[in-house]
Amino acid sequence: MITWLVDPWMWGDWMWRGMLTVNLVAIACAVLGVFLYLRRMSLLADALAHVALPGIVAAFLVSGSLDGPVMLAGAVVVGLLAAGSIETLSRRPNIRSDAAIGIVFTSFFALGVILLSTVVRDAHIDTHCLIFGDVLGISDRALWLVLTVVPVVLGLVAIFYRWLTASSFDPRFAAAVGIPVVAVNYGLMTAVTVTAVAGFEAVGAILVIALIIVPAATAHLLADRLVTMIAWSIVHAIVSCWVGLYLAIAINTSAAGAIVVVGGALYLLAFLFAPRHGRVVGMWRTRSRREA
Amino acid sequence: MYLQRAQEFFAFQYDFVAHALGASVLVGVVCGLVGSFLVLRGFSLMGDAIGHATLPGVAAAFLVVGHQHPAALLTGALVSAVIAAFTVGVFSRGPRVRSDAAIGIVLSVFFGIGIVLLAFIQTSATGMQAGLTQFLFGNAAAITGPQLQVLAVIGVVLCVLIGLHYRPLALLVFDEGFARSVGIKTTRLEVGLLAALSVAVVISIQAVGVILVAAMLIIPPSTGRFLAGRLPGVIAWSMSLGGLSGALGAFISYVFEGVATGPAMVLVATAFFGLALVFGPRGGLVWQVRLPGARRSREAL
Repeated sequence: MITWLVDPWMWGDWMWRGMLTVNLVAIACAVLGVFLYLRRMSLLADALAHVALPGIVAAFLVSGSLDGPVMLAGAVVVGLLAAGSIETLSRRPNIRSDAAIGIVFTSFFALGVILLSTVVRDAHIDTHCLIFGDVLGISDRALWLVLTVVPVVLGLVAIFYRWLTASSFDPRFAAAVGIPVVAVNYGLMTAVTVTAVAGFEAVGAILVIALIIVPAATAHLLADRLVTMIAWSIVHAIVSCWVGLYLAIAINTSAAGAIVVVGGALYLLAFLFAPRHGRVVGMWRTRSRREA
Repeated sequence: MYLQRAQEFFAFQYDFVAHALGASVLVGVVCGLVGSFLVLRGFSLMGDAIGHATLPGVAAAFLVVGHQHPAALLTGALVSAVIAAFTVGVFSRGPRVRSDAAIGIVLSVFFGIGIVLLAFIQTSATGMQAGLTQFLFGNAAAITGPQLQVLAVIGVVLCVLIGLHYRPLALLVFDEGFARSVGIKTTRLEVGLLAALSVAVVISIQAVGVILVAAMLIIPPSTGRFLAGRLPGVIAWSMSLGGLSGALGAFISYVFEGVATGPAMVLVATAFFGLALVFGPRGGLVWQVRLPGARRSREAL
């Protein structure tokens, strides 16, 4: 058992690189995810992660390079463009916000896929890698990108914590006390896009989406206060990373996929057995109430 | 060169061109119909979740059957699509779960299971796995004649079934409370709508792929809402523009090498949406900018 846990660390440096990157991305996603969840904008993460693909392609078209900063800038511009169009569209009386999300991100994504297969075919952007990630073969570039982006994102969240909290729970109150709600909103979108792009190369789009949505949803079943919710969200993210990565090594499968599946299983556990809001406890409570 | 390829396309020299065209039009029409009800019901992103959720079914079916048998793969896709729809329903019914989060969870976790299974297929050296990634972005040209016939029959049956339940469905999407009060079993009807969605997604994924099928469910109906004010009109516009997008998408994908059918179709649909958003008679931007006087006089009335 112990050899099984220790051995992968001795097979070369990919284990600690993978573990470090995945955990950092997971923590950033889990924290941002809580705020998105509270704003009922979880699915915007899905949209922004898809939109980052055309962002990267656009950056390459304009600058001809794929350096970290260029890539981030391109993705942020396109991501904000997408977030802005979603908001403008959902203000039309005959388009609901979920339809607006669906229209914008699928169109952007389709454009990205087409550009990738025609104009920028020789850019060495690997669609497969962007979607599925390559956790156990992380490049220096991806590692440095994550190492710089994640501390910055977490630091900004810490600095603007009060603004974020107030505008997530009660945007009208926040606006009334003078918090720039719109700026905070777009700042959050930028943070999500930047994290998604940094996480892309390392862990893939699907894992970024899952790490933003699932930990926050799990934490909401376990916590009643924002601080504990963020803590649970981080715990969920880290546990699924460690268990998922070991699982992937043990049964020789995709690390990103395994981490997502473990995260989903943890959510199911919380959904059923959470101490206050779990379904099993709920059923037990109604039954004892009926008997009394 | 492009002109020559365009001529080739219209000459239908090759069977696969006709099949790709047929499959793409079918996708546009069926998704346009089912999507109209979904978009009006506020279920737009269910299509996204169900589309992603077909991946584990396809992969599992491949693992069980051992080779690419289209019927088996699509049956697998249908099973996992139905399970996913059911799971979203169970999760989002709870008091402490938000329905958008439920959609996101099902979407990402099912896709994750699919990736795990795909990785298994790739490591077990059957050598036949190459075709499975086609399901990600779709490849209409790979559809054979007999397959297209089966898909078309399923599509027609689905459209007829929806046509038969048109009135209750229309009541459900506009006013659920009223529908229930006149004795319509709304829960059962909603299950039926989600089943129809699953079937529509499954017959579409070969042509547009699992990631972009949501677009064909959301964009044409949203376009229709700018062009017509009543449900039959919205559905008619949605189905015809969906079909037209499919046809043009297949054409573009044939003429320009390297362009997959799915993304091409989606971009055509988006172009139509953009036109409708600007020029559409119902809420198009042009009418609001150019006729402020008209609006004022209406308000005066």
